[in-house]
Amino acid sequence: MSAKTLRTTARTVVIALILALFLFPVYWMITMAFKPQPQWAPTTGETYWFPESPTFGNFKRIFGGEPTDESGLGFLTSTPIDATDSIITSLIVAGLGTVLALLVGISTAYGISRFRAGGKLLPFAILQLRMFPPIAVIIPILFLWTYLQLNDTYWGLILIYGAVTFPFVVWLMRSFFDEIPREIAEAAIVDGCSNFGAFRKAILPLVKGGLATTALFVFILNWSDYLIALVLAGSRVITAPVFLSQIRSASTGVEFGSQAALALILILPPVILAIAIQKHLVRGLTFGAIKR
Amino acid sequence: MSTVEETGLTAPGPAVEPPAPRQSPLDAAERKLGRLLVAPGQLLLVLLVAFPIVMEIYISLTAWTPTGGSNWYVAYRDWIWFDNFIEGLTSESFLSAVVRTVLITIVAVGIQFVIGFLLALLFVEKFPGRRIATILFLLPMMIIPAVSGFIWFLLLQTDGPINKMLSFVAPGDIRWQWLSDPSFAPVAVTIVDIWQWTPLMFLILLSGVMAVPEDQLNAANILGASYWQKLRHVILPIMTPIIIIALIIRAMEAFKIFDAAWLLTQGGPGEASSTISVHLYRQAFINSQWSYVAALAIVVMIGVSIAAAQAIKPIERRQAAEA
Repeated sequence: MSAKTLRTTARTVVIALILALFLFPVYWMITMAFKPQPQWAPTTGETYWFPESPTFGNFKRIFGGEPTDESGLGFLTSTPIDATDSIITSLIVAGLGTVLALLVGISTAYGISRFRAGGKLLPFAILQLRMFPPIAVIIPILFLWTYLQLNDTYWGLILIYGAVTFPFVVWLMRSFFDEIPREIAEAAIVDGCSNFGAFRKAILPLVKGGLATTALFVFILNWSDYLIALVLAGSRVITAPVFLSQIRSASTGVEFGSQAALALILILPPVILAIAIQKHLVRGLTFGAIKR
Repeated sequence: MSTVEETGLTAPGPAVEPPAPRQSPLDAAERKLGRLLVAPGQLLLVLLVAFPIVMEIYISLTAWTPTGGSNWYVAYRDWIWFDNFIEGLTSESFLSAVVRTVLITIVAVGIQFVIGFLLALLFVEKFPGRRIATILFLLPMMIIPAVSGFIWFLLLQTDGPINKMLSFVAPGDIRWQWLSDPSFAPVAVTIVDIWQWTPLMFLILLSGVMAVPEDQLNAANILGASYWQKLRHVILPIMTPIIIIALIIRAMEAFKIFDAAWLLTQGGPGEASSTISVHLYRQAFINSQWSYVAALAIVVMIGVSIAAAQAIKPIERRQAAEA
């Protein structure tokens, strides 16, 4: 074997090994979602590396279906679970939170980029906001939300999601706006557009791609939240990640199969969206510090 | 112009022309519009930063608790000055949570860097299936934290697949209690962070390695440089800024670690795996010591601000260089 083939082989082996290590947890969750109950909760301590006789029973169960008791031991006699409401709640609060973040964030980003408004401090303050552990900021917000009766409501979550993710919009959109020559807006104004008209007709079409990326990115962030929804809501308004963590079987204590099924459903939207914006993912997660 | 200033000479007359302004000056109407555009954002910042800080300072100086029956705005009735701060800064469980968080951050980010950098170097050259392999490798980072906490909760069960796999490669039947043994629980929390965020490190570093100019590598080849020499003298120096950014961004995020830690161990057993965020959450929502938590939050925010002011410098420099 020549030195070059040896090197290629070594590289392939290392990559395959690391990849296998990092993908195994995902594999485990996906197969778990299709395992019948005796395989996800084996009483014998046996490990089922591959699902035998895969089933959709877990998916039926999290949408209110009757528990499938394939073991015949009467394990699953607990109350039905229905995740539908929590998924809809998540879609609403993450979606409208994203819209709010975009409205405020684009306006701020354009103000900073085009009119140099807000001084030098604003971008810094916005970035610093992301450095605080959310739990340190959220307790006073909980006071305020209780006072305003926003606690455990849709609007409360939408408002806080918008506020928490708008910094990302500002940093991302600013980096897109900065790439557009100023003359374009100025030319539109000379042509008789108002400032808003220039923004809508000349600038917006140019940042369409960036805007879509930003929207998807922020949606992923909001969809992924656990802590905020846990603290500021969770009894009446329950988002899907909180719901996932609360699923417990009354009789066996665990519901691994149906939890895995819900987990699989929850990660599908972010995974698909993230692959769609893969090129810009780094820019988003590094506040536009790294552009590819 | 700068040479003129350095020699202390004044430019004679209009000979030295000022550099053409990159941007035309703004008129008053535009400036007003700009202020208007950033106003909503500033309002949200006030809501999210100013209000919590003012409120937290107020509450932290009192002994107010939500179970005491009185509203928070009359907390001054239980004024105790800096007792909460003194209690926090001498509290063993808070201080050990701080130390533990710093340790987890260093270990997790360090390992993420090593694996991420190795992979980035392996991914520079084209090979069949590189695109697919890249996307597959990004999967962990796209999985929402609540789910990754759940996945690892499954994997790390005492008779779960991780112990089974370890039993294959190591002698004996391994039955480590990952989630309930005080020495394993912090390791479990660290592993989840490594698993979830190595892909981001890889992505950032890959974009850095890709940006190393080909002609410099060719020049090194002509000079007969070995791979290690190229790595040390060509690739690393060019990548230094991007490496710093990657490390800072990851460290910032790892420091806030909550979701996975909370879902895996709730900080337990005891407080063996409690991080700063988990500690604050437990004090606030299990022990209802809100004024104490407010004091701790202020301490954390001051610490983070000091670190952030230092950390942000390389990022700002890079952005300034690119602008």
